[in-house]
Amino acid sequence: METMGIIFSNIYDSMMGALTEVRTSASIPVGGRYRQIDFILSSMAGSGIRHIGIITKYNYQSLMDHLGSCQEWDLQLNTHGVVFVPPYATGHTGIYRGKLEALHTALPVLESGNQDYVVLADSNIMCAIDFTKVLDAHIESGCDVTVVAKAGLTNGRDIQHFTLRTGETCRAIGMAVDYAAPAGDLVGMGMFIISRKKLIETIYETVPHGKYHLERDFIMEEFNAGKLSVNVYPFQGVALFNQDVESYYKNNMALLEKDVRTSLFQGETPIYTKVRDEVPTHYGHNAQIANCVVADGCRLFGQMENSVVFREVMVEEGAEVRDSIVMQGCTIERGASIQYTILDKDVTVRSGTKLLGSPEHPLIIRKGVTV
Amino acid sequence: MYFQKKRCVAMLLAGGQGSRLKVLTENTAKPAVPFGGKYRIIDFPLSNCVNSHIDTVGILTQYQPLELNEYIGNGQPWDLNNSHGGVSILPPYARSKGSTWYKGTANAIYQNIRFIDRYNPDQVLILSGDHIYEMDYAKMLRYHEKSEADCTIAVRSVPMEEASRFGIMNTNEDGSIFEFEEKPKHPKSNKASMGIYVFKWSVLKAFLEADEEDPKSENDFGKNIIPNLLSTGHKLMAYEFEGYWKDVGTINSLWEANMDLLGETPAFNIYGSAGRKIYARNYAMPSGFIAKGSEISDSFVAEGCEVYGTVHHSIISTGCTIGKGAEIRDSVIMPNVVIENGVKISHAIVAEDCVIRAGASVGADQEGTIETLEISVIGKGKTISEGAVVAPGEIL
Repeated sequence: METMGIIFSNIYDSMMGALTEVRTSASIPVGGRYRQIDFILSSMAGSGIRHIGIITKYNYQSLMDHLGSCQEWDLQLNTHGVVFVPPYATGHTGIYRGKLEALHTALPVLESGNQDYVVLADSNIMCAIDFTKVLDAHIESGCDVTVVAKAGLTNGRDIQHFTLRTGETCRAIGMAVDYAAPAGDLVGMGMFIISRKKLIETIYETVPHGKYHLERDFIMEEFNAGKLSVNVYPFQGVALFNQDVESYYKNNMALLEKDVRTSLFQGETPIYTKVRDEVPTHYGHNAQIANCVVADGCRLFGQMENSVVFREVMVEEGAEVRDSIVMQGCTIERGASIQYTILDKDVTVRSGTKLLGSPEHPLIIRKGVTV
Repeated sequence: MYFQKKRCVAMLLAGGQGSRLKVLTENTAKPAVPFGGKYRIIDFPLSNCVNSHIDTVGILTQYQPLELNEYIGNGQPWDLNNSHGGVSILPPYARSKGSTWYKGTANAIYQNIRFIDRYNPDQVLILSGDHIYEMDYAKMLRYHEKSEADCTIAVRSVPMEEASRFGIMNTNEDGSIFEFEEKPKHPKSNKASMGIYVFKWSVLKAFLEADEEDPKSENDFGKNIIPNLLSTGHKLMAYEFEGYWKDVGTINSLWEANMDLLGETPAFNIYGSAGRKIYARNYAMPSGFIAKGSEISDSFVAEGCEVYGTVHHSIISTGCTIGKGAEIRDSVIMPNVVIENGVKISHAIVAEDCVIRAGASVGADQEGTIETLEISVIGKGKTISEGAVVAPGEIL
């Protein structure tokens, strides 16, 4: 009970195209039966964190529906459990611009806690991480803030949101925001540990001065001024960053690899999700399924290859699904074919329709549409 | 404590040993035996209760209850974690004047009269924990109340030539029962009891108390309570049920009921009608993975499975691995089984947590009727060594 959690549910909303038209990025479906938030919420719950605030901005109905009472995470508790923090507009704060401002709206939650530490986390990374290890490393380091980061993702060309450089120890010796960092630097995973008291002080000191960006206006600014010591925790497991539609598509396809599945689903913590009581998937007489991730409740009679298929999907005989992501409740009729396509929930692809995207620009069909 | 009055309380008999299921019930009660890829047998009566708006269920346990108790937990997967009612596990207990195990089905209810009385119900529904079916008990309850019966027994039509294997109800035109015959040599009717009863609680309570006083009684509903009600002129009605129903008390019937889920028009449509799902306790399992080079046809494969081999006309339950070149035909693979490369399995039931090592073979392809098929069975947690052969009908 010494750590509380804060999850930001709207990070990268604007980068996810049609997928966030009807939901927050936290509730984007991934990997056949999950929503993005399942990974960070399960990691926190699996690390014994029992007091979690989820900061929302807009479009959070699907997220609330998904989490319900949080019983799947054993977080339906009398004391604490999960608290939703929707934005509230007063004289001082409106809809927030960045994580620091968002944390200002969460002050009542932060101040109601009695824990020593807070884990702050985005919800767009698929990984299974044990925060008790991160906390041990944080306390051991004696630093003010610990940033969880992943090595091997920088190349000097691609711009990363937040990068850090370490020397011989795990202590940060440099950092940058929105920068194409050279190979060897680590990329921040949007997960931080800080003392609760220090965080509350920081919010009161920064937000009234118009500062809103957690990494830029607080961590980097104070680090550069020599006022903040920063520890870097290099996460060793698989971490898949869903930052835009292209990475979302690639990361779903990455689940077709055994090593990725093992790291995510037999990793440091179990990953839970909402239970839906579906019947096991029925494979028809002439079904041809190769290299696919398939959730429960589907009825598969056609051909499928290199695809991720969510619950309650119907693929009729003679339909072809290749290199695609098919969300819950879709129907692909006889004679239809799709490739490099993301079907959002409850899409019907009519007989004879052919849909073709590309790996870099997968075609997205909006929720509930018939094509 | 205040107990809200209930219209109907369900009592689920889940204490039988189920010895005809052999190794499958060696260390677990029959209602806890896995079924259909992700369910356990008890999910069916429990889901039927919830789907029929019955929110108070007593589960009578006795034989090897550990796994069953754990599975039921607080009843949350079936929405039976209510503050008023919900699910209660009722094992036999010690009293100041000595204690006894549940001697028979009627005695099990007798020993829990105080539990039922707390809810002061008008009717009590008696259910078995070893049947696979989907039924709206609310319809049966309405029929029972409308006909002002003391007891209503669910019956289904069986082929006349098989009627001598069942408890048969002989009825008048209005559905009232005038005679009950247990396994009659010359059956007069084909209406077989399904072991599902609704009783007016005041009547049942009096008969249970009288039955307990009778030293010659076997304390059984079919053998004692029903005949006693009939002989004393009480009103018994037969409620005809037409849907799928199977007693899964034997290896062959359990295998057959699993196979009944498969096919284009399955004998038992487990998808149910709108809003009437079968609920089960779900564990944290990722989606299934179906590899290149695998072949799956006419089968159920549940979540958490990794399939690299061939699966035909089979049930593969949650968390199983089917290795490369393995061939599973006409079989039931229960949860968390590892089947290594090149294994051949046909007409078999493999229980939870087994490991079948590379190149082993279990059972054999066979034709025949459900009575003559020789189903091989591997008990929970067993390992079959590399290249070993398990014969058809062999039970390990």
